[in-house]
This record gives sequence, structure tokens and C-alpha cells, in this order.
Amino acid sequence: MKCRLPIHRRPIYHGLVPDPHADDAPAHGGSLVTFGRYAGPATLILSSLADGAKHGYALTKDIERFAGVRLAPGTLYEALSRLEGQGLIEALATEDRRRPYQLTAAGAQALRVHLADQRHVAEVGLRRLSRHWDMP
Amino acid sequence: MTTRADADQRRVRRLLRWYPPSWRARYGDEFAELLLSEFGEQPRSWRRTGNVAGCGLLARLTCAGLTSHELPPAERVRAGLATFGCALAVFLAFSLAMLAQLATGWQWASPGSASVAAGTLVMAVAAASLVLIGLAAIIPVGWYAAAAAFRRRDARLAWPAAAASASAAMLAAGASHFQNAWPGSGGIGAEHRLVPGGVAAFGWASTLSVSSYWAHPALLQRFPLPELSWMALSPAVATALVTASVMVLRRLALPYRVLRYQALLAAGASAVAITFLAGAASWVLGDGPRQAGLFRPGLVDGAELLIMALALAVALRAAVGIWHARPALPRPDQAARQGTAGRPGAAGASSR
Repeated sequence: MKCRLPIHRRPIYHGLVPDPHADDAPAHGGSLVTFGRYAGPATLILSSLADGAKHGYALTKDIERFAGVRLAPGTLYEALSRLEGQGLIEALATEDRRRPYQLTAAGAQALRVHLADQRHVAEVGLRRLSRHWDMP
Repeated sequence: MTTRADADQRRVRRLLRWYPPSWRARYGDEFAELLLSEFGEQPRSWRRTGNVAGCGLLARLTCAGLTSHELPPAERVRAGLATFGCALAVFLAFSLAMLAQLATGWQWASPGSASVAAGTLVMAVAAASLVLIGLAAIIPVGWYAAAAAFRRRDARLAWPAAAASASAAMLAAGASHFQNAWPGSGGIGAEHRLVPGGVAAFGWASTLSVSSYWAHPALLQRFPLPELSWMALSPAVATALVTASVMVLRRLALPYRVLRYQALLAAGASAVAITFLAGAASWVLGDGPRQAGLFRPGLVDGAELLIMALALAVALRAAVGIWHARPALPRPDQAARQGTAGRPGAAGASSR
């Protein structure tokens, strides 16, 4: 599924976008960097939705379980509305005043690219620690 | 006796008030359910309350076009224009008050400093440009609003359009009535003129409420009752004018080409307003304190300068948002392909 809204703005924290010419540059730039300080919550939400649709409270509990982070309600819905606005998730029919959200194809692709970039950063960091700080 | 469930429902309603109505309409029910579940686990949490309040205010800023997130481009331009208009109205009110003081002073004596004269001249040219840009922006909006209100009999537009027209007429009539009521205004017999005396007096009378007399109640009591009433009433009328205009702008489905045109005007008005502020700052912070009479800035002028700077900062933030959203507005050929005929919203009014 394509994004419903055009992504027309510059990333807020464009300085955090990886330099493609740098050593150890990742293959792809994750589109979640456009979420600025909501990139963290957005990653957690997309990861939680990767195994199926969930409503707000179920998302909070699932994220707390797998990441050890409890998203505050305002932060959760701020990130949800942004993700929905960018077409990365979509709302399903309301169930008893609770509305589940599910990942879209664009959301799954964005999450895959973003996590691959994060894995690349983690691998580079661990490799350098191992080389210069004698840490396995 | 109230149950705990009732108390929780009331707390949820209170917390939801931080969010704008459009957000509550979309997410209100599900967010309320989430909050009720959270209350079940942790009944009281200042951190949670602060988080909801902060995110609610952020959502309000987003709805006002002051953040760069998630609104569709046309909606973002429209919201940004409304916020820009509000901020510029505040800027204009204080800038006209300042310029009217200087223009009235100039009728009786030229400024004693070249920099003050240059600053005042810059302010006069910038104010005239702002008024012209304002007219260029209002005319097409007024045209489309009148067409929607009369042809389609759209009451959601007709009422705010009528309120805006009535407020504007009241402001003009009141300022005309009071413009020659003060010694020194009107410019009759004046030897020096920067702007026509009637214009300076009109500006003075229309912004009479911007006055240091509010801090001196004893002096204020000597004013005739009609003038005092105008000083109190005119800001309310101006607020009604701005509020009604914003309602028209938010509810009117302007064609994309008009939104694009308004975005250009907003950029131009921003540059002109910056120029005005530079002229005002050169007077208040430069040679002004060494001048005499109306050319000597007081505390009220310093306060005006600060308010103008703050209003301009808000206007610039909105203008930047409008400028970034502008390229994403569909061109007429794209809009025709999408079946929207260059108009955001098919029924004539936007969803907000």
C-alpha cells in the first residue's frame, strides 16, 4: 500500500540522517528518521504491530513486555496519529470503543529498513568496541 | 455519593480538553478507553497528566499549522494561514499604534535624528505595504466566502462572514468617529507630514486601546465616557473580526491556486513585517530615547516592540509551515485528474 499522504517535508532532525558517503554507511536511510523524537515510539509501535493488530492499551502492554518501556498515553497517540497520517499503519473497525491498528505494507517496509539500519549501527558500534576497547 | 467510575470518567473528560475538537472527534473515544485502563493500573500519576497535557497542546499547535506534521497539505496551508492571520493581526494592531504615534508627532515637528526619521519612514512604507498585501489577501477570500454563503446558502460560512463584515464596519465607524477627538490628531494646520493627517488620526483612534493610560487609573477617569468605552470596546471588536475571519478561512474550501497565492502573500507579508520591526527597533532601541515629545519612546513602546516580536515569531513559524506545504498542493491538472477540480473538499466547505 502506498502512503496516503505525500512525505513532502524535510526531516526535523536531518542531521541524524546517515551520511551516504561516510565509512560504514548503511545501504538505506530509514524513513522513520522523519519522526524526529517520535522515531523511538514509532519503531516500538511498528514492531509491536508486526505480529498483528492491537489497540492502544494492548500496544502499551506489549511494548512494556518486549522492550521494558512504558509509553505514556499522550506519546502513544501522538506517534499513532503520525504513523497513521503517513500511511504506515491503518485503523480497523472500533471494538467496544477500542480501535485496533494494523501495519500497512508501507509500514512493514519502513520498519524493515529502519531496523536494518539500526542493526548496522549496532554492528559497527560492537565491532569498534571490540577492536579498540578489547570488549568481546 | 459518586462512584469511582464516575470520578474516572470526569478525569478523562478533563484530560481530553487539552486536545483540539478535531482530534477528540477522531481519537477521543479510544483515547478515553486507554486512559481508563491506565487509571485501573495506576490511579494517580502527575507524569501521565503532564504527558497528556503536553501532547494535547502539541496537537493544538498542529491543528493551528504551527508544527510540520501529518495534516494534508491543503489543510495545513489553511490552518497555517489562519494562524498567520491571527499573529499578523496582533502585529498590525501594535505596529499601527506605534506608527500612529510617530506620524502624529511628525505633523508638528520633524524627528531630531536622521536614524529616527529613517526608521519611521521604513515603518510607514512597511505598514502601507502590509495593508496592501492584506487587501490583496482578503479580496479573493471575501469573494469565495460571499459566493459560498449566497449561492450555496451555507450557514456555516454565512454567520462568520456576516460577523466579520459587521465587526470591520464597526471598527471603521468607531475609528472614524473618534479620530479627531484628540489634540494633535487630524493634522489640521500641520507643517510637516509623513502620512496624511486623517490616516494618522484614524490609525491612532483605531488602536487607542494600546495605551499606557491603563496603568494610570486616575488619569483614565478624566477621559470622557464615550472615549473610555471605545478604548474598552475596540479590542473586543477587533478580536471578533479576527475570530470570525479565521472561522471563514477554516471553513472555506479555497481552490488550490488561491491557497498557493495566499502562501506567496504570506511570505511577502513576513518579509515586510520583519522590515517594519527593524524600523521600530531602530527607533525604540536607537536614538529614540534622546528625542522629545511623541518621538520619545516610553515603556509602552518597549512592551509593544516585545509583543510585536513575539507575534512575528509565531507568524514566521506559520509562514514557514505554509511555504513547505505549498509545493505539495496539487496543480490544476493533477486536481482535475483526481476529480476535485482544483478545490479541496467537494461540498464547498472544509471538514473543520
